[in-house]
Amino acid sequence: METDALALSLTYQFGTNAAFLFLAALGLIVILGMMNIINLAHGELMMMGAYVATITHNQLGLPFPLAVIVSFFAVAVFGAILELLIVRRFYGRELGALVVTWGISLILGQGTLLVFGPFMPAIKIPGGSYSYGGFSYSAYWLILIAISIALIAGLYWLYRYTNYGLQARATMQNAEMAKALGVPTNRVYLLTFSLGAGLAGLSGALLAPTSTIAPFMGQQFVAPAFITVVVGGAANVISGAVGSSVLLSAIKTPIGMAYGAFLGTVALLIASLIIIRIMPDGISAAIQKLMDRRRTRKTK
Amino acid sequence: MTSKILHLIGGDADIGTSKTFWIGFVIAVILFALYPTQVSEFRASNVSYYLLNIPLALGMALLWGYCGVLSFGHVAYFGIAGYTYGIIAGNMAGNSFGPIAGVLGGLLASALVAGIFAYFVFYSRVREWIIPILTLVLTLLLETFLGQTAGYQWRVGSVLLGGYNGMTGIPAFQIGSFVFMGYSFYYFCMVIVLACYVGLRMLLNSKFGQVVTAIREDPLRTEIFGYDIRARQWLVFVLSALLAAISGLLYVQWGNYITPSQVGLLSAALPVIWAAVGGRTSLLAVLIATIVLNWVTFTLSSQGNQYAMVIIGAALVITMLFFPRGIVIMLAEWIGKVTNRKNSGAAT
Amino acid sequence: MANQFALEARKVNKHFGGVVAANNVDLKIEPGELRCIIGPNGAGKSTLFSLLCGIQRVDSGEIFIQGHDVTHMQPFKRVRHGIGLTFQTNRAYQELSVKHNLLVPNPSFAISKETHQQGRERYMLALEEFGLDQNDDTPASEIPHHTLQWLEISMVLAGFPELVLIDEPTAGMSRDETDHTSMVLKKLNQSGLTIIVVEHDMHFVKNVAQKVTVLHQGRVFTEGSLDEVIANDEVKNIYLGHAH
Repeated sequence: METDALALSLTYQFGTNAAFLFLAALGLIVILGMMNIINLAHGELMMMGAYVATITHNQLGLPFPLAVIVSFFAVAVFGAILELLIVRRFYGRELGALVVTWGISLILGQGTLLVFGPFMPAIKIPGGSYSYGGFSYSAYWLILIAISIALIAGLYWLYRYTNYGLQARATMQNAEMAKALGVPTNRVYLLTFSLGAGLAGLSGALLAPTSTIAPFMGQQFVAPAFITVVVGGAANVISGAVGSSVLLSAIKTPIGMAYGAFLGTVALLIASLIIIRIMPDGISAAIQKLMDRRRTRKTK
Repeated sequence: MTSKILHLIGGDADIGTSKTFWIGFVIAVILFALYPTQVSEFRASNVSYYLLNIPLALGMALLWGYCGVLSFGHVAYFGIAGYTYGIIAGNMAGNSFGPIAGVLGGLLASALVAGIFAYFVFYSRVREWIIPILTLVLTLLLETFLGQTAGYQWRVGSVLLGGYNGMTGIPAFQIGSFVFMGYSFYYFCMVIVLACYVGLRMLLNSKFGQVVTAIREDPLRTEIFGYDIRARQWLVFVLSALLAAISGLLYVQWGNYITPSQVGLLSAALPVIWAAVGGRTSLLAVLIATIVLNWVTFTLSSQGNQYAMVIIGAALVITMLFFPRGIVIMLAEWIGKVTNRKNSGAAT
Repeated sequence: MANQFALEARKVNKHFGGVVAANNVDLKIEPGELRCIIGPNGAGKSTLFSLLCGIQRVDSGEIFIQGHDVTHMQPFKRVRHGIGLTFQTNRAYQELSVKHNLLVPNPSFAISKETHQQGRERYMLALEEFGLDQNDDTPASEIPHHTLQWLEISMVLAGFPELVLIDEPTAGMSRDETDHTSMVLKKLNQSGLTIIVVEHDMHFVKNVAQKVTVLHQGRVFTEGSLDEVIANDEVKNIYLGHAH
């Protein structure tokens, strides 16, 4: 009975950690996978999402789910503006893009501090909690796990079955060729950056009730998000994000439970260094290679 | 021998190779040397602060500008050296060898962490975007760790780590019984900055430096000339971490304290901004930008201006958009063109 | 070691996903040979060079340079056995001066004192024939395309190799420049340098070739003197296959 309870609690912890890593990294990995750009303003976009949700929910009285959706669109629009004005000029210059988005993140963080002050009243965490065998379970985290799974399905549908998905995959494989075949690559990049930003805003809004709302709250997300992206790699957005957050959660959960959250994150960094030593292009590339090999074996 | 050394210093790895340039350089050094005789110890001490950041900035130029590897987390090595110095020198308080032991310990600790980290990223031959974000993660974790070290249980010997309030009462540097403070610390910084600049110029004009620049331009092409590029990138990374450590050591000797925010996100951004705004492919341009930008931030924030970081962030974005090679470099090239035109005009 | 080849590939295989880039490739290059490798687009010529230099790893098979098994060596270690490579698309350092470009390769990787001396002579010969100045401060991005090709060949020779792999040296060159290139490569070859050239330009191949290897779909299709290869009807089929 007690081991049952412990196993259940571990599973729950594993699920919440994986969902947290997945949500924190999602927008980042969408932009990286499609455009080969690391958006260092990612944490600030998440912060923006949290602010939009907080303001629309606490001050305008919008129901929380609606506030989350508003956050997605608000940050997506902001992302599109960033792409048009700034990011667009840095395609093909990976390091330049990193530096310029970092500059943007400084402006956003400091700007928010100046406009909204050092903190905001938090959003009350929706849903109650259950307890079983001495461990407690938050209903909201269970919902977040479900939403993560829904997001995976949604992204799969988007890339697989929509016109945008087709064009995006073509652009990702070979931008020159796609352009020659009439794919409007500039529009694909604009939409992708906007989507990535929107997803960052969505995650920020979803995670807002679990966090304090402050101008630099994005910082707590960037370290785990970056590690997830490094381990996931850029070869395939979905397999990268999912594979990496699951693997890293499997590392973080036991260590975090035994030694605390900080050492759990340190373990993530060390694990990521070791993982890139084994697979420099991340899990998604390793999965791709494995599938290639299986395919060639079949054709033989 | 002397001519060989002069040749190494004067080579074209950095802007400024003409005779006029070197005359100007010497004049600038003399002016800096005379500055403390004209101002109060307090003002000289402020300028010491601008100077002590220069090794860190030069390390960024070396790593990013010349070797093509970007680090967002070199302040981690700044912080590791500062804290290590504080622990060692603090525990040896009263012993005149304490500060020297602290310096050696600080350099060693930074080199060790940088060496292990660099081994993983370079020997894995990871994509170039991975290094900047993992360096950033490292420094953020360091900040988180140091931030939660408040309380009496977090002490090493007799020194408290101090959590978010930081470590205080760090001893100044001394050789024998001579303690470097105020004016003497200013000259101490100046000598170190000069040594770093001249030393790096020699390194970059040497065969090693030429190969490092070639690695930046095309790693694969350079490897197919028979070079183990991983080993060279590793060495450059550790070297630049040591330069960051020198700044960290000078910093704690200057202010006698250090806080976790020194390794936080805002501090981490600064060296990148100095290098980008100055022009990362020139040591001198970065050096000049470091002094100017430090002066600007200091002046703005001492007037209580809250916009300092927004302005600095905007400076970075504007530089990357409109002066991607750096403002100081582009100015220097413009001056070079104008004087050339004048010279050729006078000749005809 | 009785019969030591300058370079030998034994049953080398490589595929990318479903595409076969090298299929049981056997290649033996005698010291002092000048070999041309020809074949239609996608025949696996450049991939073969990548495999020989270690930029790509073989799936199976073995590679020997001057009798040393280099199959599992990193590229930079292979180079130290006396091999040099120019890339299909020119990879001189565009932003660096001609002088700096020529300073990067390291002659001290030459394998012996004797090769060091020969290497210097060949390098000087190349500089003179190609009209390059070791102290030229012009950025490589500002020199004409054909000179850039010559620069990369000279850079490789500045490392004093015994064996050079040259990938499409005359792409984008005029007839005169092509002829000059083939003349210089022949001179270098006469000084004992082993050369393997991948080339499309049949005029160039006629000019220099002693022995020709035809690659097709990652396989060595045939090998022999140029006349034998040209006389081979199946080779014509490969090249003119689209015309049917």
